Amino acid sequence: MVTFTVNNAPVDLDVDQDKPLLWVLREDLGILGPKYGCGVAQCGACRVLVNGVSVPSCVTFAGDLEGAEVVTIEGLAEPDGTLSVVQQAWIDEQVPQCGFCQPGFIIAATALLASNPNPTDAEIDEEISNICRCGTYPRIRRAIHRAAAALSET
Amino acid sequence: MPRLLSRRSFLITGAVLSGTVAVAATAGIGYLASVDIDGPDGFVDGDRAVLNAFVAIYTDGTVSVFVPKTEMGQGIHTGIAMLVAEELGIPFDNRISVEHPTEVLPVYGGWASQLGIRPEEASGPLHWLGRRALGAASIVSTGASSSTYELWTSLRQAGAAARHMLVGAAAAEMGVAPTELTTPGDGSVVHEATGTSLTYGHLALAAATIPPPESPELKPASDWQLIGRSQPRVDIPAKVRGLPVFGMDVIQPQMLHASIRQAPVTGAAVARVVNEAELREIRGIVDVVVIEDTSVAVIADSWWTAEQALWRAEIAWTPTEWDDLSGVELTQRMETALDSDEPNVVHEEGEPFPDTPDHLVEAAYSAPLVTHACMESMNATVLVRSDGTAEAWVSSQSLTSARWGVSRGAAAAGIDLDDITVNVMQNGGAFGRRTELDVVQQAAFLAALHPDRPVKLLWSREEDIGRGIYRSHARARLRAALGEDGLPIAYEARVAGQSVAQGLMGRLLPITGGGNPEGDFLTSEGLESPHYAIPNQHVGSHHVPSNIRVGLWRSNGFSHNVFFAESFFDECAHAAGTDPLEYRRRLLVDSPRLLTVLDRVAAMADWGSPLPPGRGRGIAIGGAYYSVVAQVVEVTVANDGEITVDEVSCAVDVGTVINPDQVIAQMEGSILWGLTTALMSENTVENGSIVESNFHDFQVQRLRNAPRITVEIVPSEELPGGAGETGVIPIAPALGNAIFAATGHRIRSLPLAATETIGERQTRSVLRTAYT
Repeated sequence: MVTFTVNNAPVDLDVDQDKPLLWVLREDLGILGPKYGCGVAQCGACRVLVNGVSVPSCVTFAGDLEGAEVVTIEGLAEPDGTLSVVQQAWIDEQVPQCGFCQPGFIIAATALLASNPNPTDAEIDEEISNICRCGTYPRIRRAIHRAAAALSET
Repeated sequence: MPRLLSRRSFLITGAVLSGTVAVAATAGIGYLASVDIDGPDGFVDGDRAVLNAFVAIYTDGTVSVFVPKTEMGQGIHTGIAMLVAEELGIPFDNRISVEHPTEVLPVYGGWASQLGIRPEEASGPLHWLGRRALGAASIVSTGASSSTYELWTSLRQAGAAARHMLVGAAAAEMGVAPTELTTPGDGSVVHEATGTSLTYGHLALAAATIPPPESPELKPASDWQLIGRSQPRVDIPAKVRGLPVFGMDVIQPQMLHASIRQAPVTGAAVARVVNEAELREIRGIVDVVVIEDTSVAVIADSWWTAEQALWRAEIAWTPTEWDDLSGVELTQRMETALDSDEPNVVHEEGEPFPDTPDHLVEAAYSAPLVTHACMESMNATVLVRSDGTAEAWVSSQSLTSARWGVSRGAAAAGIDLDDITVNVMQNGGAFGRRTELDVVQQAAFLAALHPDRPVKLLWSREEDIGRGIYRSHARARLRAALGEDGLPIAYEARVAGQSVAQGLMGRLLPITGGGNPEGDFLTSEGLESPHYAIPNQHVGSHHVPSNIRVGLWRSNGFSHNVFFAESFFDECAHAAGTDPLEYRRRLLVDSPRLLTVLDRVAAMADWGSPLPPGRGRGIAIGGAYYSVVAQVVEVTVANDGEITVDEVSCAVDVGTVINPDQVIAQMEGSILWGLTTALMSENTVENGSIVESNFHDFQVQRLRNAPRITVEIVPSEELPGGAGETGVIPIAPALGNAIFAATGHRIRSLPLAATETIGERQTRSVLRTAYT
């Protein structure tokens, strides 16, 4: 048995200790925002926050989750549906194309801004290693700066 | 005499047309006359009125637009919905939604692109015949950057026809003439004389009974409220919440999960699964299946379980003639082909190439195999029901090919094509890859073995990169005879590659055997330079088969051939001692549209301004899919050989623009797609199989590698062109030309650089040859 929370909801699961969190979320909990993209912590499509830290859920294992707080893309908005500042910046900059990788980027950006409220382009590039094949990188940089500006005003 | 089948025709046209010509011959013109190329008249469907094949209005005033095109990131659902909204007279807001239809109606088929024309060009008996023949075997597909120019007129007409019906319904209810009514664009019909108005939602059901107009009148451009003004994408609000259902996200009741191992050497068959009994013992495993001798699938209650079981599977494969094939040998085969004196003639113009030109420039170029690596790896969910029907949920570029895939995969279950429903899901990238039906066919095969249980088959990333489908590799030899002014008098180019048309046709329509590769324009497209004023031109191709599967890939042959040609003309410019921009300007003397775009990008990039040592600018231009794109790349090459792409300027003429921000987004995406491929991405062959398997060895750009990009749209009143692919075309040569400008090294082989890893996931690009 593993006990943790996902998007503030308690989870009590009888699951293999070595099952990746990605597949626990997608198959056991029906939370489909985190995507399978590579399975080897290369692409970032599966990123979620575990205790506030952005991790690739494809190499984070159920056995390590006892007591953890997991937040996925679905958990970033307020309970009333209000988008997070980062999500809103993603809309304002019209970032997504196919959108498949974007949950991972939004999670990574959320974590980056929590630790570095006003990152430079170089810091964004260094900290966020996710892959997008549609080519939304320029807009991602812009959206992060926009979110940083919005956060500094609040 | 119009060409019934032009070079630009989509590949499957040939086979379909020969089939439909047979239909026409047996059933006659009467049959073709009966083909419904207009789609249904209005009807009521629950709480909505379907006013035609493209527009439905709900009683609450919301509007559904049926777009027979796949949303794979290019923003087409938004652009097409804008066309409808413009003529329908509704604001562009969250009252509009888009659905991909599940029916393969003739009106949804891409008949004009298959005829190699724009719909607006269709006239006369041959087109009457062609449109109906192609409609009878309608192909619903998204590709060749064609969606906007295919639907530009018909979807505005659909909106205008719906508006006409709503006005008719309002006229009947108010007891006034339709001519007394106006539609202010807010989703209502207004009788100004009395100040009364009725909403579209109120009128919807009655409008379904109003006959549609013969030829709906379209707004003049001066009245456009939406077209040409950036609108937010209809799909983005859901995408930032993680809500869209991609094929991978499909969940159906009682669903089983499957993973797969395909032959390492394509062409090998499964001899046996050595430890099958052991695999079947694993908790959660439902079945171990050999699919048509070519692959092994494990079906389980969880994909993770199925995939883990396959890690333990010992599969014996039969030997093939390709088992020793290496990249070196493939190179030799292409070189041998190029040595032959009998290419397929692609383009001949003017006199033969001179035997002893005064000023000869010649060079050899090459490009590797490269895969798509869509972020959503290949998958399909198929349900074969015991009542003889089937349903599938697929990330696919083609409703038609997905249906064929289900039909073929489930052949054992004897499912009639008419009893198959395919739901086209949001695609997590496609880039040509999702025209294929391989994964659908595999999933249907598994589903047929487990009737009434949906089976979701998901390829691991390793299957996607290492056992997938690739853009063809290519090698080319180019030469030019320069005249006294330094411009080419004669140009000759020959390319050797593997025929994509033959591969694709063989997979989509096996009955054709793939057809004859000689006419495959996909191998040679972009090697001709019709816009350049060169009096004598000779372009030819050679087809070198192998067991590697090659297929459609964003911009296809243009992606390597324009690298060859535009790098080569840069070499000619330097040989002539002329500035590369000025050289191209002179060559474009008869191509004002391209010249305008070229001049625009040169101004954007401040072309003539000096750069410090180690930095360089390169320029290139391409025209394809009715659009023109020119780009300037600025690079820095450090003393240790590290290449940094600092900035890309891009000028584009896509004709009439529907949604400017999304044209810009497509240019940004195309530039990054092209830069990734130019600098980093490569699939290699050893022992008959692809070596790379995941993103640790199939390199792609990340944020760190992405340059600043500036895009300007050149105003144009031409009909719309394609935006999804043209932007890929000039970027590789512009980059190569920039590296030359910075270093004096002419790199003639893609990828242009070696990729070095930095830490766990970051990379940098470094020149392969020493540079100081």
